[in-house]
Amino acid sequence: MDGEGEDGSKVIHVKFVTKLYPPFKAPVSSVVIPSNVTRLGLSSIVNSLLTLEKPEAFDFLIDGELIRMSLEQFLLAKGISAERTLEIEYIRAVAPRKEEKPSLHDDWVSAVDGSSPRFILTGCYDGLGRIWSSPGSCTHILEGHTGAISSVAFVNSQGGESVTVATASKDRTLRLFKVDTAESGDSTTRVRAYKILRGHKASVQSVVAEKHGNMVCSSSWDCTINLWNTDESESELSGEAVTTFIGHTQCVSSVVWPEEDVIYSCSWDHSVRRWDVPTGKDTLNLYCGKALNTVDVGGEGSALVAGGGSDPVLRVWDPRKPGTSAPVFQFSSHSSWISACKWHESSWFHLLSASYDGKIMLWDLRTAWPLSVIDTHKDKVLCADWWKGDSVVSGGADSNLRISSGISIS
Amino acid sequence: MTKKKSEAANEDQTRDTKKKSVSAVKSSQKEKPVLAKQVKSSKEEEDLLLDSATDSDYDGDSLSGSLNSDDFDSDVFDSEDDASQKETEGGDKDSSEDELELHGNEDSDDDDEGEQVDSENDEEDGSDEEREVAEESDSSEDEVAPRNTVGDVPLEWYKDEKHIGYDITGKKITKKEKQDKLDSFLANMDDSKNWRKIYDEYNDEEVELTKEESKLIRRMLKGEAPHADFDPYAPYVDWFKWDDAIHPLSSAPEPKRRFIPSKWEAKKVVKYVRAIRKGLIKFDKPEEEPNVYLLWGDDSASDQKSKHLTYIPPPKLKLPGHEESYNPSLEYIPTEEEKAAYELMYEEDRPKFIPKRFTSLRSIPAYENALKESFDRCLDLYLCPRVRKKRVGAHSIINIDPESLKPKLPSRKDLRPYPNSCYLEYKGHTGAVTSVSPDCSGQWIASGSADGSVRIWEVETGRCLKVWQFKEAVKCVAWNPLPDFPILAVAIGQDLVILNTELGTDEEQQKIEELLRLGTLPEQDEAVAAIVSWLPDETYGGIKIKHFKNISYVDWHPRGDYLSAVMSAGETRGVVIHQLSMHKTQRLPIKMRGLPVCTLFHPTHRGMFIIATKKNVRVFNLQKRELAIKKLETGLREISSMAIHPGGDNLIVGSKEGKMCWFDMDLSSKPYKTLKNHPKDITNVAFHRSYPLFASCSEDSTAYVFHGKVYSDLNENPLIVPLEILRGHSTSSNRGVLDCKFHPRQPWLFTAGADSVIKLYCH
Repeated sequence: MDGEGEDGSKVIHVKFVTKLYPPFKAPVSSVVIPSNVTRLGLSSIVNSLLTLEKPEAFDFLIDGELIRMSLEQFLLAKGISAERTLEIEYIRAVAPRKEEKPSLHDDWVSAVDGSSPRFILTGCYDGLGRIWSSPGSCTHILEGHTGAISSVAFVNSQGGESVTVATASKDRTLRLFKVDTAESGDSTTRVRAYKILRGHKASVQSVVAEKHGNMVCSSSWDCTINLWNTDESESELSGEAVTTFIGHTQCVSSVVWPEEDVIYSCSWDHSVRRWDVPTGKDTLNLYCGKALNTVDVGGEGSALVAGGGSDPVLRVWDPRKPGTSAPVFQFSSHSSWISACKWHESSWFHLLSASYDGKIMLWDLRTAWPLSVIDTHKDKVLCADWWKGDSVVSGGADSNLRISSGISIS
Repeated sequence: MTKKKSEAANEDQTRDTKKKSVSAVKSSQKEKPVLAKQVKSSKEEEDLLLDSATDSDYDGDSLSGSLNSDDFDSDVFDSEDDASQKETEGGDKDSSEDELELHGNEDSDDDDEGEQVDSENDEEDGSDEEREVAEESDSSEDEVAPRNTVGDVPLEWYKDEKHIGYDITGKKITKKEKQDKLDSFLANMDDSKNWRKIYDEYNDEEVELTKEESKLIRRMLKGEAPHADFDPYAPYVDWFKWDDAIHPLSSAPEPKRRFIPSKWEAKKVVKYVRAIRKGLIKFDKPEEEPNVYLLWGDDSASDQKSKHLTYIPPPKLKLPGHEESYNPSLEYIPTEEEKAAYELMYEEDRPKFIPKRFTSLRSIPAYENALKESFDRCLDLYLCPRVRKKRVGAHSIINIDPESLKPKLPSRKDLRPYPNSCYLEYKGHTGAVTSVSPDCSGQWIASGSADGSVRIWEVETGRCLKVWQFKEAVKCVAWNPLPDFPILAVAIGQDLVILNTELGTDEEQQKIEELLRLGTLPEQDEAVAAIVSWLPDETYGGIKIKHFKNISYVDWHPRGDYLSAVMSAGETRGVVIHQLSMHKTQRLPIKMRGLPVCTLFHPTHRGMFIIATKKNVRVFNLQKRELAIKKLETGLREISSMAIHPGGDNLIVGSKEGKMCWFDMDLSSKPYKTLKNHPKDITNVAFHRSYPLFASCSEDSTAYVFHGKVYSDLNENPLIVPLEILRGHSTSSNRGVLDCKFHPRQPWLFTAGADSVIKLYCH
């Protein structure tokens, strides 16, 4: 089986399989390839098998692990026999294929939310929130804050005609806006808040909405996490906190609300906590050792916690693992603080991270190397999010919102 | 042994005798053997008996038994012991059998002959039997009663008597009739056995020796052991089991020689006595007096002195040579030129002694340096450190590995977290950043620059939030330590400006605005009014406190109301303390020597105030208005900065020669440790508020981070471990890092560089 190739290198019998749909489905037959091919070579072989009009980049998996070196090295490293016919699964490479036009802001873009497929919501250091329907076209400007906006969130993006959004600002308030999406036109509409949520004693760092949009949760420099009602009451413009979670000893930098009664938060006191919403108690306390800036929950069973902070390492914890707070994955290709990390909403393996080194990296849990690096930003990246499942939206200190699209995640 | 055999023989014999005598057993007791006629026949019988005995080796055996017992010796005692034991056992048996036999024998005698037996014969017979018995027991032979009881008297006394003596019952033993010489001769000639016959005078009878007896006599004549069966060379059988005995046990009796004086010793003594008499051996030799002695005293190893631990032997002087003589040879005397050359030399290089010549001892003058040298000697004694110097290294007497003397410092890994890498930079200043100050929450940091701007940055992102522009270079910025009072004190030239950062909540803003509004100013002291004036700041709406000199340093009291400003002026005017709530200024109540460099309010003790002048650090109690309660001797040339541990007992002082001193103020007024790390001036030192960290930054563009743990146990010294050198700043116009401050809550360090960048080093 194992013979010598023409140029003296070994050859391997492989079979390419995929879960992709027809244009990318290669005929299932054994192919003999030299063992020293890399991912690029494999990709060109598959492309030649497929006879596509436009070449397509692929990523290759052997036994659930992405190939990131030459095939020979990989087999050696993993101790896989090269004598039987190898089954190589290929997927479309996770990399942005298109860079959309940047959307220029007046100041640093500090927050972005891409959870609605119709819009992109951004927050800016000039105190204005913006809603973009497509790259470069700002439809609404949310005004009212006297300080820089630190975080934005769609509260209710499902509503047909109006969308509710929440913004958090360094002026210690949160504001809720109702945006009428029916209006269309070239001119941008200025929207004022229908509700101002006061109660934090210091800058609000993060805001997140509950699934159904009834409540928002915010975290602040005053070490507290507040829950607020979003319902519109005619009588008063300002709202007060429904509950306050106290437990963190330093700035609570980020919160996520993945399920109805669970809130995850991370703080500069080096901990990630899980809060039980009905009781207000923290049920989990992961100690990290570094000040944390961002946290997200996702992955396998929406149970893995990813977080990053004051060092260039993106860490993934599995809180289901008993007795340990050591991260199960550590990705350390960045060179500066991590400002944002987000799980892909449908994939168990993919997540992105943004860093002050100006790069956004896409990660797959199945390999320790980044899948791709987006370094379109010229300064720190302050926020990033997935949009529509195949794009990455990010804002940074270069005052631009950048959208990298065409990322195929199966 | 032959014992068995003999026993068998014995039994045989007894069987024989029994056969003879079975028939008549009963008559033996009744009959009285008195007749002398029967002597002959009984004699014959005796012979027969004897013969039978000679046939078997019964007799010999008995003899050997008796011999053995006679020859009883310590040498053969051992081998004999158990044998004799057996013998006695067997003997007992035999004797019982013999008793039977005895009776049988008697009976048979009577029976066979049918005649009366002579009493004598009877006696003899009995004696024979007794012999037989005696053969079994060793002592029985002595019990044989002498037939003639006359005693040991010369037999001539009975020469003329009819009897020869008396038997045991007192009856006379009559002499036998003398045979003729001829008859006896003939008888002798007839009888071939006659040569064995011996005449027993004492008993007046003839005894015929048996063959065995003659052999026995022959062996005795040869000097051999009498018994034929005796083996003088029997194999030695050890009587003691040595194998598992612990103690050397011997039951051998103490030999006699142990108790008697030794002859050899006596001989030896005699020999010595003779030697002494002759004078060959002498006693009490008188000790010789050493006729040489150390002229300068024994200073090398005097026992008395070296017993004391602290005794330090004086250095040995060279002994005087010829040149030291009062009249040395001419070749020792320096020439005039040489003398002139000596004069030109430095005093240290000049030889200590220049030889001189005197014609006589009388003409020598008194020693000119006597007084000076005795004074120096006294000084030496007074100043001499009474410590024995312990040199370390290859040449030292005590061989210590120099490595082992290095203090055991914990590994850096264990002392994490500490700042080690720079991830964030705060860029925007156009001139050297002279001062930074983080706010107490750690969210913001204020910085002042030589370009005249004061900026507030967001720590998290590096975003510049606010800028205030002034006309002069900013010397120092200080954030109010109260969390709900976000105001800044900025030193610009002669002005101390209080800036409202507008970062607090609305209520806090109100309070601040109220505070910063200068209403009617309270009356100031005249002396104070001369040097300080409170003015409203028109441009930024704060307060401007104008001083009479340039302000170099500003520090807040931990409670946030008082504020000290340092100017380069002496005495009481160098340091002023402003009270913000009262809009009042106080001078220092104490006169001070030297120019103040920086000041500190004690973090825990309310009234304590620490002032560093260029040389010293003094601690005052402001409430008591007394002189300095403590003066710390730094030994530094010029102090540039100081910082106090949040516990309040430890102080670090940085100096312009690059040295940093750690003072444990409870311990001593001298530095606990002096760290010399920086090649250039230290510009600032800082303590972390909660982590055991301190740092120094210097003009050499580096900052050092140290671990400085202070233990609550007073007996334990603070642990100081250098951790990290933080590089990254570039030098601009010969200046490096101008300020460093720790983040109040994270183990992070801010450094302000002359390259107009602020860097944040994170863990």
